[in-house]
Amino acid sequence: MALDRYEWLGRLAGRIPDDALVMSTYIGAVSFEWAHHTEEHHRSAHLGQMGDVIGLALGLALALPHRKVVCLDGDGSVLMELGQLVAMGEQQPGNLVVFVVDNGVYESIGWSSQGRRPTATAGQVDLAAIAAGCGVPYTVDVTAEDELDAEMDLAFSRNVCSFINVRTRPGHSHVRPRRTDGIEDKYRFVRYVERLEGIWITGVPPQDIALMKGKQH
Amino acid sequence: MAMTAAALDAAHDGLRAAGIDFVSGLPDGWQRPLHERVELDPDIRYVPVCNEGVGFSICSGAWLGGKKPALIMENSGIRVASEYIARISLGTGVPVTLLCSYRGDVGETEHWGIPHGIVAEPLLQALRIKYLIVRHVEDLAKSIVRAKRIAEAQLHPAAVLVSGDCVWED
Repeated sequence: MALDRYEWLGRLAGRIPDDALVMSTYIGAVSFEWAHHTEEHHRSAHLGQMGDVIGLALGLALALPHRKVVCLDGDGSVLMELGQLVAMGEQQPGNLVVFVVDNGVYESIGWSSQGRRPTATAGQVDLAAIAAGCGVPYTVDVTAEDELDAEMDLAFSRNVCSFINVRTRPGHSHVRPRRTDGIEDKYRFVRYVERLEGIWITGVPPQDIALMKGKQH
Repeated sequence: MAMTAAALDAAHDGLRAAGIDFVSGLPDGWQRPLHERVELDPDIRYVPVCNEGVGFSICSGAWLGGKKPALIMENSGIRVASEYIARISLGTGVPVTLLCSYRGDVGETEHWGIPHGIVAEPLLQALRIKYLIVRHVEDLAKSIVRAKRIAEAQLHPAAVLVSGDCVWED
């Protein structure tokens, strides 16, 4: 029995470590529901799009190896760029946990009387098996409620690069769409990371601000 | 044929002078020695990929975590990466320095390099990526520094296309 995505994302939001960072999709049901559950907490970068979410999360995890990085992606997006799994399997950052919301359809494009358009995972394709074949150390295909709670707890309590494919039912929860664009999302996330890590990423460097203050008359 | 020893040193010096501390890429015939050199540099995190689009995504994520990334590839890789450059950077604004072999430039000896030369510059222009073409070794290091500098200023990629005396000793 496939799981309810909205309900599961709510449970994930309640379990995620306070100091973790999240790379999520930019638009679409997963992004909107995650934003709803987390009240758009600035730890979440809603910057990923079809085919690049895992790549972005992998880069973030490699840049901050001491920080848990959680990736939220969808089956259609993962399928668009399977090469991301190759890089993930080669690098194997222990701080990276990828959750895939696998509902077997292209949910966000809408549907007709013929139903939803299926993704390849509705057929024979098994994303967890592909990730395992790419060398990702821990992979699992989750279909049951009780398995999912245990997998989430395990993912956050250990330091193992993980790919957790969660089979969910299609369907919208009708939360409101997010209002921000990628530029606002970027600045919000970058400023959060700067504060969290005590680093400078973009804008006028702190030492230059000090110099400018020194020049004031 | 690979980039000359002098160009290899200049490219590596340029990356270091620019403060690049994270490199992803897919090696090609010309810049293969640079990948080998960077992989051994203890100050640079090197992440090989099997597709330049994935490399761009990884570099972008690394920048969000505070790294100064560069993507090293053949210019054919600009085509592959263009989907992710458009999705990520045209919509969000992320500075990744692109260091590309300019296959198909005047002097090319290989027929398969010609299409790469035809597409590269119009595609960079379509993606609003400013670029420098480097045909003299003495210009290479400073061009990498300048590309990285404007990438950070405009929060969008900038590119260096490597050709001429950097690869041919004719």
